Formats: sequence, structure tokens, C-alpha cells
Amino acid sequence: MEQSLLELWKAIPASLQWLIWTLVKIVLIIAPLLLSVAYYTFAERKIIGFIQVRLGPTRVGPRGWLQPIADAVKLLFKEIIIPSGSNKVLFLIAPALAIAPALAAWAVIPFDVGLVLADINAGLLYVLALTSIGVYGVIIAGWASNSKYAFLGAMRLAAQIVSYELAMGFALVGVLIAAQSMNLQQIVLAQQGSILHWFWLPLLPLFMIYFISGVAETNRAPFDVAEGESEIVAGFHVEYSGMAFAIFFLAEYANMILISTLTVLLFLGGWLSPFQGIPVLEDWFAFVPGTIWLLLKIAFFAFVFLWLRATFPRYRYDQIMRLGWKVFIPITIVWLLVVGLAVVYQLPWWFD
Amino acid sequence: MVALSDYLILSAILFSLGVGGIFLNRKNIIVLLMCVELILLAVNTNFIAFSHYLSDISGQVFVFFILTVAAAEAAIGLAILVVLFRNLRSISVDDIHTMNG
Amino acid sequence: MLLEQILFYFFATVLILSATMVVTSKNPIHATLFLVLAIFNSAILWLMLEAEFLAIALVLVYVGAVMVLFLFVVMMLDIDIATMRAHFIRYLPIGLVVFITMMVEMILFVGTRYFGLEQFAKPVAKSADYSNIEELGQVLYTVHLYPFEIAAVILLVAIIAAITLTLRHKPNTRYQDPSHQIHVDPKDRVELLKMPAEKL
Repeated sequence: MEQSLLELWKAIPASLQWLIWTLVKIVLIIAPLLLSVAYYTFAERKIIGFIQVRLGPTRVGPRGWLQPIADAVKLLFKEIIIPSGSNKVLFLIAPALAIAPALAAWAVIPFDVGLVLADINAGLLYVLALTSIGVYGVIIAGWASNSKYAFLGAMRLAAQIVSYELAMGFALVGVLIAAQSMNLQQIVLAQQGSILHWFWLPLLPLFMIYFISGVAETNRAPFDVAEGESEIVAGFHVEYSGMAFAIFFLAEYANMILISTLTVLLFLGGWLSPFQGIPVLEDWFAFVPGTIWLLLKIAFFAFVFLWLRATFPRYRYDQIMRLGWKVFIPITIVWLLVVGLAVVYQLPWWFD
Repeated sequence: MVALSDYLILSAILFSLGVGGIFLNRKNIIVLLMCVELILLAVNTNFIAFSHYLSDISGQVFVFFILTVAAAEAAIGLAILVVLFRNLRSISVDDIHTMNG
Repeated sequence: MLLEQILFYFFATVLILSATMVVTSKNPIHATLFLVLAIFNSAILWLMLEAEFLAIALVLVYVGAVMVLFLFVVMMLDIDIATMRAHFIRYLPIGLVVFITMMVEMILFVGTRYFGLEQFAKPVAKSADYSNIEELGQVLYTVHLYPFEIAAVILLVAIIAAITLTLRHKPNTRYQDPSHQIHVDPKDRVELLKMPAEKL
């Protein structure tokens, strides 16, 4: 049985082999990602519940663990209502435009040395370009809904996303200067040494600004004024129901996990062990594969997303704009100068 | 094998579409600005094709600057359009004749 | 070879079709979205021409920023689509004549006679560790430093011009100043009084 499969594999031409292998790798990345997005929603309800001294969902399945499956089945079977005055094609394309960049960006994320789908030398630029495309899903959803609430929410959200994209871009430029490569693998490898060699220390303001801008970009509390459930109903996706709404939901959570992953890769050493460089502990934990360290760090930042939502009150819209333009961008520009000087003068601990 | 002439013919078609579009869309300044962006896109493709086939990086440097200037021009053009619309309530090219002698 | 040709013709066809739809769409939002599609296809063609940085920068700058700006403006303006449709037919003949004349003349010039495969051979594909960004950077910050700085100034001028043109202060609207709100001293707002407990 395996012999005939192996012969079949060798019989097909090399380019088709490469194509099939790439498709397999894509499925290996996307399938766990979608599963983790579903359970991330469950984790959110549980964790925010515990922070608010109550249990989250506990009814469906053992201790509530089948809740995301129930949600998915419910949304699948719900009717997709298309508003009467809306542009049908645009209405249905908008969710696709929202989720496509969130999934496509995972092509350049390295999970360990050499475990990456596309090892391109412009990985950081590619990720930045894809986050820029994410705005379109929002704008078109707001417009195609033919509803004032949706339109207003979409415009505000689009302006917020574009503003915080700048701060994120500058933070990424800081990482680029420090690592001297746009290849995400090289950026992680440039942080080798010990936990103090990771970029969170020399680039501390950029690290915090990147993460907070990521929270603002994914429209999470405390920056969720466009979706504030008590203010503008559901913002740009108020007219969506059923699977179309589910796709927006998935896109938001996939973006959150993507931002956490990028923060870990760029500032916290990716798949490097935190015990690297410490003589005794390094050997004790040498058996842990890099991917596990990566997943643990991503899980921590995903938790911080939920923690922020449960803790802080919502920002007002003009406060959000002021923060993005008048606070984050000047700080990033000044820190870029500092990092540039540090790299040019080869500051001893990190850049020699 | 894709020859240089294929890319140049593509640029020529895009350029002509842009120019034709300017003739067709006199009633709508926004689509006019978009046709200008099409023309710039055609010219950029031209430069990059030459840069590739002549193995000279200068073509790509030029495209870099064209992209910069095109973005600046689109921003200012749209700002002017917004102010025009606020005052005239119309976006037709024919209605912009207050400076006629 | 064949794959490259198939990809080129496919993306070139989609590019030309979407550019045609930009020019002939009734609805300006459709026109904007077709332009986004045209820019994407163009970026893919640039990737085939080994200009990776510029292809991704095109998507980042044009699709991510300029077209979002176009979409915002189109959505803010109230456009009467009926009048636009009527006048489109009126201008169609002259537009078509200009388009065909220009296209035919340009194709006659840039056709295979002067720019075909014999005159300009396909260069050797670059090696796997070729960095387009590095090559651009080598040239941009040394030979072309002066134009680079001027391009930065041009963008600054564009920002200032766009804001100056469209900003309007409404005299009657009251704004809140977030920085004032943040720099408030608790001593100004809360005063602790010590009062003896009173018997009722």
C-alpha cells in the first residue's frame, strides 16, 4: 500500500510534487489556526468570566468545552440576511476581504528553524502590506450594508486602523534596523544569546507601541469604539448574520493571534528558549522544542489581549486619534533615531 | 518566453485606456483621477520591464520616486476635490469655470 | 517557460479587463475596487519581473493608502449616477477614437520588431539569495540620496497641503482637549474634608 503510494509520488513531475506539498503545508498551518481561533473565543469567555468572578460557558459538553462547536454549528445554520438596498456583490465580498489577509500573513511566520511556508527576504514588508489590505473588508462592509450605523462605524474604524498602522510600521522599521534583515527567520536568529539579547529590551518603547497598536488595529477594547456594543450596536457588521458574521468574527480573532505571534517573533525571540545562555537551566530545558516556546509566548500575549478587554474602560474616539498620531508616532520616530545610533556605534551588549 | 515587447504592449494598452478614460469621464472628477493613476501604473510597469531586461536598477529607483510623487499628487488632488465639492456641490469638470474670462 | 507565459497572459488579461471596468463603470465605488484589482495584478507582474520590493511597496502604498483615500472620498460625496450615465454615451465616440489611435500607434512602435526577444534577450534569473531590497538600498542612499530627501519633502508638503485645504474650524462647536484631561491633578478635582460625625 505504502509502496504503491510512494511510486505514485515519484511518478508525478517535480513541479506538481512541489505544488501538492505546498498545499499540504498550507492545510497544516490553517487547520490548527482555525481550531485555535474557535477555542480562543471560548478562552475569552471563560477568562473574562473568571476575571469578573463568574464562570463562563459551562453547559455545552464537559465543562463547556464544546461551546465553540455549538457556536459554529449555530452560525452555519443561521440565515444570511442581505439588506434590501445593499449592493449584493460587495456585501458578500467584504467578509472574504476581511479574512483573506488575516490568513495569508501566516505564510511567512516561522515556527522553528526552517519551519516556514515561504522563507522570503521581504517577510516583514509582506506582513505590513497584508495588514494594510485588512482595512478594505471593514470599509466595504460598512458601505454595502446600506445602513447609517454601519457606515459611520466603518469609517471611524477605518480611520483608526490606518492611523495605528503608521505606528506599527515605524515599530517594525525599528526591528528592521536592529536585526538588519526583513526575513523573519533572520530576525529571530538575530536575537540569539539569552533572554536579555531579545529585542524587547533595546526596543522597549517600540515593543509596547507595537502591541498597543495591534490592540487598536484589531478593534479590541479599550479601542473598540467602532464596535462598542453599548454605543453603536455592532458597528460595521451590524447587518451581517450567519456565516458572513462568523467570518468577520474569525478574521478578528485570527488577526489577534497574528499580532501576538508577530510581537513574539519580533521582540521576544520567537522560538528561542528563555533559558538560553544560563548554564544549568539551559540543559534542563534543552528537550523542549522551539515551537513549544513559541506557542507558550503567543498564548501569553493572547491572554494579555483578553486581560486588557476585561480591565480597561473604552477610549473615546478623539482620545484614540490623539494617542495614535500625537503620542505613538513621535515616540517611535525618536526611538528610531536612538536605535539607529546604537546600531551605527555598535552598542556593546546587543549590536556588536 | 515572455519578451520585453509583451510588457511594453501591456503598458501601451493601459496608458491608452487611461487617456481614453479621461475623455469618457468628464462628468466625474474622481474617475478622472483614477484614470491618471492608471496612466502612472502603465508608466511604472514600463520602467520595471526595462529595468529587468537591461539589468539596470535605475528603472526601479525611478519607479520608487514616481510612486512617491503619485501618492502625494493623489492626496492633494482629492483634497482639492473635497473642497470643490463643499463649495460647488458638483463633481463635473464642466462646472469648474468660475475663472473664465 | 510555458508556466511563465501562462501566468503573464492570465494576469495581463485580468489587468486589462479591470482597467477597462475602471474606465466604464457606472458606480464610482465599483471603479475604485476595479482599480484596486488592477493594481494587485500589476504587482504580481512586477514580482515576475523580479522587482519584489516595489511590488510589495505598490500594494502597501497604493492599495493600502491611496485607494483607501479614494474610497473615503467617493463614499463621502453624493453622486448623481443617472446624469453621469447619460453623458457617458455622448463622449463614447471620441473616447474610443482616442483610445484606439493611441494604442495602435504605440503598439506599432513597441512591438516585437524593435523590442522583441532578439533585441532584448531575457536575462538570467537571479540566484535564490538575491536581495532586491539590498540592491535598491545600495543605490538609493548613496547615488540617489538627494532625490530621496527631496521625495521626503514632497510628501511632507502633500501632508501639509491636504490638511490645510480641508481643515475647517467650526466656531460654535466645543471640543474637548484630551491632553488637558489627562494632565489633570487629582488635587484640583477632589478635596478631602474632615468633618466631625454629626448626631441626628
